[in-house]
Amino acid sequence: MPLIELPDLRVHALSMGEGPPVLCLHGLLLGSLAQWYFTLAPALATRQTVWMADLRGHGRSSRPSTGYDLATLRADVAGLLDAVAVAEPIDLVGHSYGGLVALTFAMQHPGRVRRLVLVDLPLPPGDAGVFDIAENAGPEELLAMLPEAVREAVLGGGRRARRLVEGIRALVQDTTLLADVRSEPRLTDAQIAGVSASTLLVFGETSACRPAAERLTQCLPNSRLSIVPGGHFVPVESPQLLTSTIVEFLHG
Amino acid sequence: MSREDTLQILAGFIRDVIGDEWDDDMEVAFDTSFSDDLELESIEFVALAESVQAHFGDHVDFVGWISNLELDQIIALTVGEVVDFVESCR
Repeated sequence: MPLIELPDLRVHALSMGEGPPVLCLHGLLLGSLAQWYFTLAPALATRQTVWMADLRGHGRSSRPSTGYDLATLRADVAGLLDAVAVAEPIDLVGHSYGGLVALTFAMQHPGRVRRLVLVDLPLPPGDAGVFDIAENAGPEELLAMLPEAVREAVLGGGRRARRLVEGIRALVQDTTLLADVRSEPRLTDAQIAGVSASTLLVFGETSACRPAAERLTQCLPNSRLSIVPGGHFVPVESPQLLTSTIVEFLHG
Repeated sequence: MSREDTLQILAGFIRDVIGDEWDDDMEVAFDTSFSDDLELESIEFVALAESVQAHFGDHVDFVGWISNLELDQIIALTVGEVVDFVESCR
């Protein structure tokens, strides 16, 4: 298993294919690089080197108790790219909080980003509706929020359900993740407008993150928006449509 | 190499992927389902795919094969179907 050592983190990262690099970042709590591995990654790997990484605390990366703020997550990305010797500008694909990491990485390192694909990300970051709803919801509402495949795994009980629930419990109770998300500073329109990279925005039609779509479309000078059926978990709910939309943007 | 040999190789990879949670009551046979019987998580399935690819080499395009399946086909996948796929690449 390819693990890359950073100062306070072991990053699980995989690559597929050869060509100009693209890095795919998942969202918090339910995400892992598996959401790209069998769908988007092989499609992009026909022309690009596709890097996928598990964010800290997720998938097979280690779970430090702190550092779930965007600045640290961006530093993890920079550290990973340095470690695997990717020096040329990359395409960055991010879902949810992974999209915020991608967007703010492009603000901080404009020379390192070629194009952006931002999928259903929350704005403002600290107002991630999904987290706020999760805190106040009862068990039935929490279940209803999950993508169908995950909901079925939870309801099925057994080993996979235990691992899923334990993974979320550990992130919420043993790390600063929720506090870090809540204290994340707002992004100003001027900051967002400073991103010149060509950007594809993809949002779920019924997602709680939808208001961010209009704001990003207005602020980002070089963007186009695609609305797909379904809610927040686009890579799980509409993997094929998301893949073809991204392939058309990056390879079209 | 026989179908049985390929099954044993895959069974070894599956035990490695499940790791500490491997239970000696668990059995890997041709009709064992990755989802219902082994309850493999998606990230574990990725680890299995990496092992298969590394062991059998580029002529066994396991990830490419999976990426052409529908989600319900992936969920219903059995160990035997993966064995047959690997055998078909020889």
